[in-house]
Amino acid sequence: MVIRNADWVNFLRQYGPIPRNDNMYDEAIQRSIEKKGIEPIKVEPEYLSGLIDNFKTGYPRSVILTGTAGDGKTFYCREVWLALGGSKEDWDNNETIKVLPLKNHSLYVIKDLSELSDDNRYIIYDMAESIKQDNGKVFLVAANDGQLIEKWKTAEFNYIVSEVAGFIEDLLVSEQQYKEGYNLQLINLSRTNSAKIFPKIVESVVNHPGWDECQNCSFKENESIYNRCPIWENKKRLEGAQDEKILQERLIDLLELCELNEVHIPIRQLLLLISNMLLGHPEARDKLMSCSQIPKILEDKSSSSASIYRNIFGENLSKRRRETTDIFSTLNRFGIGTESNNFIDNILIFGEDDPELKDIFNKYMTSDEFYGADETYKGDQKAYLEGEVSKDESDRFLNRLRSQRQRLFFTVDTNDIIEIQVWDLTSFKYAGEFLESVYRRLENEKRVQPKILGRLVKGINRISTGLLTKDSDVVYLSTSGSHSQSKISRVYETEISVRPNRGESVNILLENGKPVLNVNMSLSDEIGPVSLKLHLVRYEFISRVAEGELPGSFSRECYEDLLAFKSRLLNQLEYRRKIEGAYETDPDRLVLELLRINNEGMLYRRTVEVDFE
Amino acid sequence: MMERLPRPKRIDSSMWVDEAIWGHRFYDEQSPWLCIMEFLNVLQSEYQDGRAFKEGAFNTLRYTAYPRMYLRNILFNNPQMELIERNFQNDNNSQWNAWIDEMNKNSGGMNVVDFSYLKKRFTSYQDFVEIINFLRSTTIEGENNKRWSSQFIFPYGPDCLYEDLRVTGNSISNDRRFFGRTGELLYLMLSRSNKKDDILKYLTNKVLDGKSPFNRLVAQLQPEGEQYDGDKREGGYLPYSNLPEYDSLSEDWINLFNCNMPNYDVFPHLVNITGLHMIIYLLNRSKEVLNDVNKTTFILEIIAPQKTIIRDLASDSYSQNNNLSKQTIEEYVLGIKNTEEWNRVITSGDTYEAARDLIVKVFSWKDDDKAKATTADGLLDEFYKKASARHKQHVQNFHRVWGREIGLVSKRSSRRLRYAPTDSLLKALVLSNVETKMEFQEFLDCLYKKYGFIIGDRQAGSLLETGQADMEAFSENAVRLEERLSSMGLLKRLSDACAYVENPFVRVVIR
Repeated sequence: MVIRNADWVNFLRQYGPIPRNDNMYDEAIQRSIEKKGIEPIKVEPEYLSGLIDNFKTGYPRSVILTGTAGDGKTFYCREVWLALGGSKEDWDNNETIKVLPLKNHSLYVIKDLSELSDDNRYIIYDMAESIKQDNGKVFLVAANDGQLIEKWKTAEFNYIVSEVAGFIEDLLVSEQQYKEGYNLQLINLSRTNSAKIFPKIVESVVNHPGWDECQNCSFKENESIYNRCPIWENKKRLEGAQDEKILQERLIDLLELCELNEVHIPIRQLLLLISNMLLGHPEARDKLMSCSQIPKILEDKSSSSASIYRNIFGENLSKRRRETTDIFSTLNRFGIGTESNNFIDNILIFGEDDPELKDIFNKYMTSDEFYGADETYKGDQKAYLEGEVSKDESDRFLNRLRSQRQRLFFTVDTNDIIEIQVWDLTSFKYAGEFLESVYRRLENEKRVQPKILGRLVKGINRISTGLLTKDSDVVYLSTSGSHSQSKISRVYETEISVRPNRGESVNILLENGKPVLNVNMSLSDEIGPVSLKLHLVRYEFISRVAEGELPGSFSRECYEDLLAFKSRLLNQLEYRRKIEGAYETDPDRLVLELLRINNEGMLYRRTVEVDFE
Repeated sequence: MMERLPRPKRIDSSMWVDEAIWGHRFYDEQSPWLCIMEFLNVLQSEYQDGRAFKEGAFNTLRYTAYPRMYLRNILFNNPQMELIERNFQNDNNSQWNAWIDEMNKNSGGMNVVDFSYLKKRFTSYQDFVEIINFLRSTTIEGENNKRWSSQFIFPYGPDCLYEDLRVTGNSISNDRRFFGRTGELLYLMLSRSNKKDDILKYLTNKVLDGKSPFNRLVAQLQPEGEQYDGDKREGGYLPYSNLPEYDSLSEDWINLFNCNMPNYDVFPHLVNITGLHMIIYLLNRSKEVLNDVNKTTFILEIIAPQKTIIRDLASDSYSQNNNLSKQTIEEYVLGIKNTEEWNRVITSGDTYEAARDLIVKVFSWKDDDKAKATTADGLLDEFYKKASARHKQHVQNFHRVWGREIGLVSKRSSRRLRYAPTDSLLKALVLSNVETKMEFQEFLDCLYKKYGFIIGDRQAGSLLETGQADMEAFSENAVRLEERLSSMGLLKRLSDACAYVENPFVRVVIR
């Protein structure tokens, strides 16, 4: 038997969820790279060449890099420094502010603004000045945005600093990079889409030359599944050469949904995820396998605990660690493992003996002898069905079910997606539709189908009127007569046509790369559309209400959220009336139009008039 | 300590303890909504007389309260309306006649009754029914189980304002069942605040000038002339001429008004914020009596799925505050023993008589002649027990009852009460503190400074020092708030380190 201890695997462990001081992250990895001569995991950095080019021109802009911890701020600063001819020694010394001469300017690099001591606070003033007018200095500054704003706001007050501080805040909040009159580019690395980067990192990891060390290892793809290395098995599954990358595809879906939900996942967390997916095992040291532990794991027959599908959710980690690691707490919000539908659970529990489900059971359960329905699973399943189990044993089986649901989510192939309803395995049953039929259609410059738009309109009408309407051709605007927190609003104000009609329309478009539902009220430019960013939670909420759930039952918070949208619609309506001069109240009479619902579930108006004497 | 204003002679009371400390009076059974309604009644009446928010001599408020019995019978004591509509279907005349007949016979609280004026004011009986049903749907506090004479229509304007009454047959009496003067106190507070002119300006346009169509609609339901025969009511007593609490309250009102919410959306937020300020006022007065110089604080749990240390701390914080008023009574009454005057009592010849005179003088005790005690100390104890029992009936419950009403206090997933704000309270807080946008930590800090709310680790300072909680627990609490505000559409997150709380009504950017 030849057993290899791959340095690469140990290196990969360093990226995983092991306890460590976060500030030292970049430095620690650098040291490893130098000491062991391991090639780093490379991901083409989106902004690097642009940054270097900027500082090489005769008229460079200052640049502020912001972003979440782990987005690569330090990385960018170092690479720019080195590319412009800065020395490695200078980079490694402890100076907070590093200076490098450029063509006509001096470049000041501050890789972490929070390290700036009070003695060095003057630099903020220099920087503000350089942003307003050329003073021979340019800056490359990295800071997470919270610190950035705090530093600027607490800097010694003077006119320029406070002006620039306000301007930076505006850029941040409005998601802009530039503004005329200011010589600054603000790059928010948290705007990088993790779903787009993830496949690149995966590729860099699975194709890493470090795996060559495994070539001669006898556990690699051993004929007997009992002697097969789970690390290699996980690597193969991540690579997805045999199943058209379904796992990657589903995971990218989840990441995309996070981004659409305004939850950004930095590169460091993606690396952590990948490391944990490949190496996670609840009984390994630090819960991550290394080569030396493989023989023991095989001997204990505990390979199935290394399942990549469980590791995605950090199931190998302690509950506390899982909850405090951002990527796992984020992914676990999808509820994968806990959520299910009858069909799926029938496959998992009765599939083997049910002639109608047998095929699908074999396709997805029996075929995977490594992580699927192995002998222990089948044994537990039989015992569970026959009811001769203790509480512990039944819990054990339910736990296995959970793992299998997680595995199913990442293995059901595209052809079976409709039959198995894969998204029912998450807390968001409309998530798949949201991605495919809304977001990706828009990305491919196609329109969202009227069927889906109609459903959203119906949901919005139900939420805003509080009546169980089926109307989907118009958006009803109504008030309760008092305040909009009362649940039912029967006083008709107006209706907005969904299909374009004299400036009115409702449509879904991509804005800043995110789907937005626009309610247009007028042809006039002065009266802009009222927009609602459609993210996953809102989409799910509105869709569910349209299909019959009560607005309060899904989430009170979403309900409040949508009521705020309704308030904005009403405000805009009031504005339209003002602009169009249609805001006349007849001093002599009141016309009250009250909404009612007919037998077909459609709204109609009952008009009541009162003359004032 | 600031000087208390003298007790107005006209107020009749068996003793002057709760009243001296907090005012006459804080009444737990009057909900925050009804407090606002009573307040509007007072304001409208004073506005009518050209005296809105002008107090003249302190605590001399005297205002007119309207019964509006026609309106109230039509809205809330009119069970036959729809039955009559069905019984005489398609026969407008018979419908009206039957209904007028019915109302003339069975309405309450009026002597001479004639509802026939309504017939010519509406196109049809059916329209009338439709309108009444609509107006009923805007009843304050929706479906409550109070008596019909304690139901209130939404305050669209002066014609919608009337006082809480008790109706027996044809007569009415003012029993102050739900208008317990808390609204009068609110009126006095705002009258003594720095923003009263702005508030008046806003409310004049919104409510008092009576121009809103719905107010005119409600006026249509009432016979002419009825509204002028209201009775004069003597107002309550608010002990201090000026306090920072009054200004803070009035500033929050203005902040809410400045949000420019559509229609009458501002009202529910006004109700919640007012309730909060009332609670803070109550606790601050207690602390003054107790010579407690620490800031009034509330530890707020942002509800977590599992039990956390914050939950316990929020419960403790609640209990401490909830017990304050009781301790205050004890200190206020028994604390007299530490005074020079009491010293003179126990060194005088007839200690019992001297004690009695002192207690009567200081606390305006009326029933001293029924006392059973025979010694000076015994007498003071007996009086303390009486004062304490009286306090227990209403004022002591105020913190708990109002805390729950405004969504500050909750029992959710726990058996103990604690501070755990609801979505609607959170929204009110955002609206009254965030003009356009505010960095999240700054927001937490602002809530701490203004209301003493402890949510995040930076506000928990002293608790952390004494080792009662770890920083992490509080920062997780803040994260929960951040997430909750975000899903309510009130917060925009930039990265893990930075988020902005946003006022949804002033925003132009996409949400």
